[in-house]
Amino acid sequence: MAKDKKSFNTKLYAIIVFFLVGALLATITVSTYKSRYTGFSPEKTAVAFVQSIVDTGDGYNSYKNTIMSKNYKYGDYIREYYMYPVIYRECDYTPGDDRASLKGFNDESYMSDKTKNDNGVLSGKVIDTMYSYYEELIADLHGWDNYNEFFTRYFDELCKVRKTTFGDDYMTDEIMFTALEANVLTYGKSLTGTEDVFDSNTGLQTSVKSIGAYEKAFGENCKITYEAIDTKDIEDLDSYKTSMNSSALETYKISIDDIKAAKEITVEVNVNGESVAKQKVNVVLIKSTWYVDNTSLDTKLLYSIAD
Amino acid sequence: MSDKTNKKYMKKSEIATFGIGLFGVALMTGWMPDYTATFFADFAFKGKGFDADTMASAISMVFLVAGIVGAVCELVIGYLVDNTRTKLGKVKPWIGFGVIPLSIIAMLVFVAPNTNNQTVAIAWMFIIYSLYTAFSCAVESPSNCFGSLCSPNPSERSSAISIASFLRSVGQSGGMVVILVVGLVMKAVMGEQQFKNAEAQGLDLIISTAICALGLILFVMIFFTNNQERVPFTQEKVSLKDAVKVVFTHKNLLMVSLTKLCGFGRGVYGTVSLYIAIYLLGSKDLKLALLLPMGIGTAVGTLLVNIVLKKFSTKKTFILFCLYGASSLSILFLVSKGIGFNSTLIIPFLILNFFCGLQHGNTNVTPNIMIADCVDEIEFKTGKRQEGLAYAGYGLFSKVASAFTKALGPWLLYTWSGYLASTNANVAYAAQTDATLNKILMIYTIIPAIFVILQAVPIFFYDMVGEKKENITKALIERREKAAQTAVTTEA
Repeated sequence: MAKDKKSFNTKLYAIIVFFLVGALLATITVSTYKSRYTGFSPEKTAVAFVQSIVDTGDGYNSYKNTIMSKNYKYGDYIREYYMYPVIYRECDYTPGDDRASLKGFNDESYMSDKTKNDNGVLSGKVIDTMYSYYEELIADLHGWDNYNEFFTRYFDELCKVRKTTFGDDYMTDEIMFTALEANVLTYGKSLTGTEDVFDSNTGLQTSVKSIGAYEKAFGENCKITYEAIDTKDIEDLDSYKTSMNSSALETYKISIDDIKAAKEITVEVNVNGESVAKQKVNVVLIKSTWYVDNTSLDTKLLYSIAD
Repeated sequence: MSDKTNKKYMKKSEIATFGIGLFGVALMTGWMPDYTATFFADFAFKGKGFDADTMASAISMVFLVAGIVGAVCELVIGYLVDNTRTKLGKVKPWIGFGVIPLSIIAMLVFVAPNTNNQTVAIAWMFIIYSLYTAFSCAVESPSNCFGSLCSPNPSERSSAISIASFLRSVGQSGGMVVILVVGLVMKAVMGEQQFKNAEAQGLDLIISTAICALGLILFVMIFFTNNQERVPFTQEKVSLKDAVKVVFTHKNLLMVSLTKLCGFGRGVYGTVSLYIAIYLLGSKDLKLALLLPMGIGTAVGTLLVNIVLKKFSTKKTFILFCLYGASSLSILFLVSKGIGFNSTLIIPFLILNFFCGLQHGNTNVTPNIMIADCVDEIEFKTGKRQEGLAYAGYGLFSKVASAFTKALGPWLLYTWSGYLASTNANVAYAAQTDATLNKILMIYTIIPAIFVILQAVPIFFYDMVGEKKENITKALIERREKAAQTAVTTEA
């Protein structure tokens, strides 16, 4: 063992191993990242956007693939433009204002005893009541393309329903997100259906089997697949950029100069191998990432696949 | 002890690099199980439309099969290590060469095939994770037994093992820091929402795995270049049958291994830590706050054991820490009952949690030192040095004990305590009766305390201490010197 160095150069071996394995790990990581991350491919970005809407009717979360979410965390954008104006409505809040000195309806002084003592039952009642309004909005606005009106009307209604249930004006962003996201989830289940689910530890049933709209329309275990069937470069990029909604871009903190390329992608939606919809989506390249241009959307067809 | 037995063999840097090597191995092996489960369940085949129930059952089976593969590999690797004779030593080649396939396989666990066939997906999970388990055994098991070979001086060896054990226990949680830093860097580079989108594809897990794998290579290579095996291996080949027999028939080794089995219920507290945070302290966010003082306590305990070992034998140290551990858990139970389950309990509970954590330092360090002593005793009696199998035997008992813990914890919580799950979709955690809350507290305190006492029982029959240990150490040094002189004479 004392003759280690004569027979085997451990230091040289260590250096070679470190750099070779390091290079191999880097290669695997980069290739996996590129293949899984949707933002590097215009087709994958468009498909992810369409898939989010069709799989579970989730137009709400589909915005995470859009230019709206380029500089904002999606949730923060909603807070800034739709929640805080409601919570701080008596302070004439405008997006970007410092909230530290403002007293909004999220202050505990607005809490009624019902709010203080609720163990989730009344909050659940609010969510259940709001669901029918959520369905009404989806039908009325044909989905989420007009997100501005969707958020505004939904949160206004939420304030009214909460006041009726709890008897107070207390409102926080957490309450708003909880209600909205619960409704989005329930709407998704109404399309996909649910299975009987039992808690693996207690054996108690946590979900009851139901037939979803897709299963009614296309049969049980129907399989939805997506394919980007056509990609066209938008050649007159300058005209395209000037046609974009500039006030919306301003709220997203995006300048048209940031956009380096644009493509029109056609995504085909197939159910059990048969085409049920073809959706055109425009995507734009900012730095090295592709985003769906949500200022030019018309996705109402995707909300009526099961009709 | 004589001058010969007091002689220092290791360079100071070697003690540090031994710990750095174990830190690297623990960084990888600590990261993998939990995050692999998350990756398989949530990200590997996202959007493929696979049946969720089938996938959930398959993932449980993957880990069960991996547990069996791991147990078998412990013995096989131990046997192979004991039959390894190279110029680098018997253990170092396994660690230094084994990290290459280990790091690559670990990385490949997070590269799921792009398949729409659920059977292929499940088969891939079984194969890749079993492969990972086998390769992690081939590195982790030898790295754990390096301590018994780093120095013929038991005192120097004990210090090295306790410092290395401390770094290993830190390394176990290193992955949590890696993923935190990776998340921060990704947010800064990509923006918050794009990071969320990437996170939804498990990409932060993939990058973190690459960093842990690179850390494994870096830290193990530092160890590999700087550390030497100083206890010569014996030349006799050992048959597999005789080798396995050693694990089960050598009294002292069996007693040390039995501590794991007798104390298997020590770990059930982990099953209820979330519920302790929710029901007893008032918020599930306090789960991390619960684990942190205990983790710090464990790290401090690991260093504390080294100090206690300078005053007492391994046997006394182990028993002393067990008594302390049971007492601290009992005090935590009594204080919690006295204060009641309300917000005033939070601070005293967290402080006492730190003191409860100190005992874990003992179980991290002392058995490893005892096994090194057992290896000496076996060599003294049989002329054969079998570190590989001695540590593999302990590892095997650890794995069986861990399986028992995983079965007992949920049974205690969901059956024995009378825990009520919420049936209201809008209520996450249902209200519990006082009797249930008391039982949850007992699962966190009194029941582990009983097992802490039980794990000390086999050690009462352990006798590789005091004069016996000194005589064996001295005899082995003399025997090795004689063998070295004979070798020199033969060469001349």
